[in-house]
Amino acid sequence: MGAAEAIARGTLRDSRTRTLSFALLFLFGAAAQGATYRSAYPTVEDRLRLARSFGNNEAVRLLYGVPHDLLTVGGWMSWRLGAIPIFAGLWGVLAAVRALRAEEEAGRMELVLANPVARGTVFRAALAGIAAGAVIVWLGLFVGILAGRASAGGSAYLALAIMSPVPVFVGVGALACQLAPTRRMATTIGSGVLVVALVLRMVADTSSAGWLRWLTPLGWAEELRPFTGAQPLVLLLPAAASVLLLVASAGLARRRDIGDGLLSARESAPPRLHLLSSPTALALRTLAGGVIAWLIGIAATAVLMGVVSNSVASGLSESVQRQLEKLGTAATSASGYLGFAFLFFVLALSLFACFQLGAMREEEADQRLETLLSLPVRRAGWFAERLLLIAGLAGALALSAGVFAWAGAVSQGVDLSFGRMLEAGANCLPLTILFLGLGALALALAPRAGTAIAYALVGVAFLWETIGGVANAPRWTLDLSPFHHVGLVPAEPFQVTGAVVMVALGAVAALAATWAFDRRDLVSG
Amino acid sequence: MPSAILTDGLTKRYGETLALDDLDLDVRPGEVYGYLGPNGAGKTTTIRLLLGLHAPTAGRAELFGIDAWSDPVAAHRHVAYVAGEPYLWPSLTSAETLEFLARVRGGTDIAYRDALVERFQLDTSKKVRALSKGNRQKVQLIAAFAARPDLLILDEPTSGLDPLMEVAFRDTVHEAKDRGQSVFLSSHILSEVEALCDRVGILREGKLVEQGTLAELRHLSSQTVEVTFDGAAPPPPELPGVRAMKAGDSTLRFEVSGPVAPLITALADKPVVALQSREPSLEEIFLHHYGGANGHGSS
Repeated sequence: MGAAEAIARGTLRDSRTRTLSFALLFLFGAAAQGATYRSAYPTVEDRLRLARSFGNNEAVRLLYGVPHDLLTVGGWMSWRLGAIPIFAGLWGVLAAVRALRAEEEAGRMELVLANPVARGTVFRAALAGIAAGAVIVWLGLFVGILAGRASAGGSAYLALAIMSPVPVFVGVGALACQLAPTRRMATTIGSGVLVVALVLRMVADTSSAGWLRWLTPLGWAEELRPFTGAQPLVLLLPAAASVLLLVASAGLARRRDIGDGLLSARESAPPRLHLLSSPTALALRTLAGGVIAWLIGIAATAVLMGVVSNSVASGLSESVQRQLEKLGTAATSASGYLGFAFLFFVLALSLFACFQLGAMREEEADQRLETLLSLPVRRAGWFAERLLLIAGLAGALALSAGVFAWAGAVSQGVDLSFGRMLEAGANCLPLTILFLGLGALALALAPRAGTAIAYALVGVAFLWETIGGVANAPRWTLDLSPFHHVGLVPAEPFQVTGAVVMVALGAVAALAATWAFDRRDLVSG
Repeated sequence: MPSAILTDGLTKRYGETLALDDLDLDVRPGEVYGYLGPNGAGKTTTIRLLLGLHAPTAGRAELFGIDAWSDPVAAHRHVAYVAGEPYLWPSLTSAETLEFLARVRGGTDIAYRDALVERFQLDTSKKVRALSKGNRQKVQLIAAFAARPDLLILDEPTSGLDPLMEVAFRDTVHEAKDRGQSVFLSSHILSEVEALCDRVGILREGKLVEQGTLAELRHLSSQTVEVTFDGAAPPPPELPGVRAMKAGDSTLRFEVSGPVAPLITALADKPVVALQSREPSLEEIFLHHYGGANGHGSS
């Protein structure tokens, strides 16, 4: 086995958990959509009604893009799977940073390069490993679409269209790795570009500026138009963009020092002595940059949702409303739309909690926590304070989502109460606290797997809520997903019982986690 | 005054691996204790138990009479720790790191800290991520010594330091000793332990196989006697506790454990030209205890 092959295999192996998770998630997501459509809209008449209601509904376009044909399974799926290219893009960024930067940051890349292997070879081999992973994800998607009983050729093309942003965002991630001095910053730059691409697509799909779609890889995926008048020539765009980005990255990679980025952070700085008084203060200080990035992303999305909430179709007939409710939306008014749209923030903040739990774990894994806990610092105190800090930051983000959505809506002349929108923001918190508590418990009981378990809990619960709702699953099984107990504020009233139960469960789990963490060995590596 | 470190039957098992087996240690206040062992012998495990970072499977560890596992915060008020792998916060500068550690610990001697920064020639404006391992090690050492703790627990503290800084480190340990502070120095740099430590413990596969002052260890160990004869060396005498080998045409080397008198008596009527005897170095004691077998415990 040559060096290149060994590196490519290593790249594939390092990311196997993430690759398989994405492949399975895509598989089940796609398969569920096919089944849903057949059971919810069995006749041509149903489908025509659906097409009429959605043809102009900007609320749903925001997440799924523009529907071109809702009369066939293929057309339906190519529209309803419109959110998956976003996740595919995220997979691309994460895979690139993992393969090209994480090894370097850990110092292992120096070991590799000390062998008679050229840097270019390592770069290309890592890309080959990523490509192999992308094929696995594509396969999952293809099988899922096929299971929805679409034609084989069409399914392959749809899966290809959905995956078309992957090479572009691998390129973006690769370029970010050359620019950023740290892995964390490379991930931030890459995800930032993804957010910009998403916002561009959202604007293009919900306004008259449809041409903007041609500026974003997520728009290209739409313009490939699977099942609805395919335009395979559009594939040239992602192909050209990814080649350009990768060639540029390879060129830059030859120029920079290993372990450093072209945007090298300043190595020296005068001391800034704020937020050094306690471990929690230091955590706030070191997390601040990331939290601000979250805030910007959430604020931008919230403003956008507020702005388009005005143009959401109003005065829909009752039968169409029922159809919408079947899909889990009651988007017949601005507040109705926002109530639905804020489910996105419920999900985003739950993921924020997981992300922060991951940072806690990282501190333990790389033994900074040993340095900290060899000081007169209470272990349970460190853990509990950190959880409270995460909850507080999530609360601030949640409220700002409400404020920015309100501002966006009011700017378009929507009559919306500020208090209700704050409530809508706060409504995102109980579930976040529940997942934070459960994730913390996972971290305390199974340190190495804890972060993955936390993400999996959120993912499974959300998927079940979205699939189970339309698949006519028995009610008690739907009740198992905590997402089912979130009121769609401001459209619906705040569900007090659900919220209290979730916060209480979260708090109990967090207390149990603190107790367990206080009693276990620290686990490094 | 209670012992700086007292362990009683301290045992740690990770799954199937017995990392530390029934350890009894007693480090007295003001003592510099060298803790020797090859990689994986259980040195770092011992330290994690002393700091209450890992829970003992059996037995107990006390620092100044305070249980390390059940009351770590009270115990840590007496202790400063320097980790073998200097993991710090990459986005902070050294100055910020020192400030953070001082504020969280409390009671740092700022003037002494400035003197140590000078002595170790640390550029405190640099961010930790830009520092080499040796320089990150210096940050930890300065923070630990400037806290003037009753006990310093040092895990291979000089593994990244250059020889000049090694000298600075030894001076600093001597100063701490002069002030009556205790030092627990885990190391496998034997010259360092030999130069600094009052007492030495040797760990092998999780067991303390030898403990004592250097003089005591030497006494327990064999010493080397080299004898040169006029002309060809005679056949070596057969004596209990004496191992002989040829070291040249006219030279014999004897490894003697116990008194040398019987050997001298046996050589009395031989044409001895020169007789050289030397005490074993710590390295020889160390190697003697490992006698070719390598420790395979977990650290």
